[in-house]
Amino acid sequence: MTLAPDEDLMLQVRDGAGEMLGVLFDRYQTPLFNFYSKLTGDRTLSEDLVQEVFLRILKYRQSYRPGTPFRAWIYQIARNARVDHFRKFPRQTALEPEMLPPVVPSDSAQEQQEVELLRRALRMLPEDKREILLLCRFQELKYEEIAALLGCELNTVRTRIHRALQELRKSFHQLTKGTAS
Amino acid sequence: MKCEQISELLPDYLQGSLSPDQRRTVETHLEQCADCSEEVAIWQKLSLLPVEQPGPASRARFEAVLQAYQAGRSNQPAHNSQWRKRFSSWNVFHWLRSPLGAAAWSAALLAIGIFAGLRLAGPKPPSPDLAAMQSELANMKQLVVLSMLQQQSASARLEGVTWSTRDQQLDPRVLSALLHTLRYDPSVDVRLAALDALSRHSAQPQVRSSVVSALQEQQSPLVQVALIDQLVEWHDRDARPHLEKLRQSPNLNPAVRQRADRAISKLN
Repeated sequence: MTLAPDEDLMLQVRDGAGEMLGVLFDRYQTPLFNFYSKLTGDRTLSEDLVQEVFLRILKYRQSYRPGTPFRAWIYQIARNARVDHFRKFPRQTALEPEMLPPVVPSDSAQEQQEVELLRRALRMLPEDKREILLLCRFQELKYEEIAALLGCELNTVRTRIHRALQELRKSFHQLTKGTAS
Repeated sequence: MKCEQISELLPDYLQGSLSPDQRRTVETHLEQCADCSEEVAIWQKLSLLPVEQPGPASRARFEAVLQAYQAGRSNQPAHNSQWRKRFSSWNVFHWLRSPLGAAAWSAALLAIGIFAGLRLAGPKPPSPDLAAMQSELANMKQLVVLSMLQQQSASARLEGVTWSTRDQQLDPRVLSALLHTLRYDPSVDVRLAALDALSRHSAQPQVRSSVVSALQEQQSPLVQVALIDQLVEWHDRDARPHLEKLRQSPNLNPAVRQRADRAISKLN
């Protein structure tokens, strides 16, 4: 049995079969949750935003046009939901890397330490750089889709990814040196 | 090849979308260049970050919202679920041909006729006349909106709400018609649209107080959630006691109660 494409399911939701949204929820709640949690570092907020995305899909289902790639459409909604949230509730304190608990290198496995440092290095990136890395590395969006999402040229996407990776590498190195010394 | 040229190829290399030739070029460069190979290494390292799972309550929360939404819709018979289909050109023509529509458009045409006549009659029409004509035209628009808000079909009312948003300034009659629509329109879609339209006019005290009182009256969870969100958006601290009251009402949808709880904490 082949799975129904997201686009077909969304068309059914648009035409009144709201229960089909459950299938899309099961497919997208984890990727969306990870997008938000890696971007904001806040689990509760990330869960709220995932709910908000699906509520918006219900509210704006009529605006879904046949032929629109669903993945790109839902990430558009997801980005807007986050922007709207922070417009309504400006962040009071940014989560600075210094505020995170120190890494204890001795006992823990090297990989665990690397994961923690990587997480911090990612958090140190400016939000737009972090976002573009998440979109292409974890959300499996194609560069063309990211370009459409961010409203920029394909080459700009490539350049931004390159710069984001360079900066991530720099931060990661600094953190590694910090724990080694 | 230089790093600069390679860096143009790297993003596509990482996604595996280079031709075999290009891939070989990049790989040869990577063997000699520490900087570029570290960039690839950090990209690969990113896969170490574990996939986090949302809490188990997440699915239940979604179910509650979905059920509330379905319940809200099933209260609305066929015309609601099919409003989009009914929102066809036929419907607009149908409306134009109805006695009310005909009267509105005849009046509008008459006004345009008088306006054109005045413009043509004298090279410089005195400005008071022009102002009078403009206000006459504005009145026509209000009339059209008001008559649309009273139509039988939900799609015509929805269109009326949309029309009302075209003017920055809201005529008091249109405002009170919209407030009435928000509270008593039988269609959830129309009530939601009315709330959207009214949210632009939060400066009017009447709007805020109506949203607050609608909170106690509305039965549709979807509308309740939209009202709560609106109050949070306005940072309306005065709404807190009303939210407290709402969350204590029996038979309240659990998703709405959660929303109200969060709203109360956000308004603190």
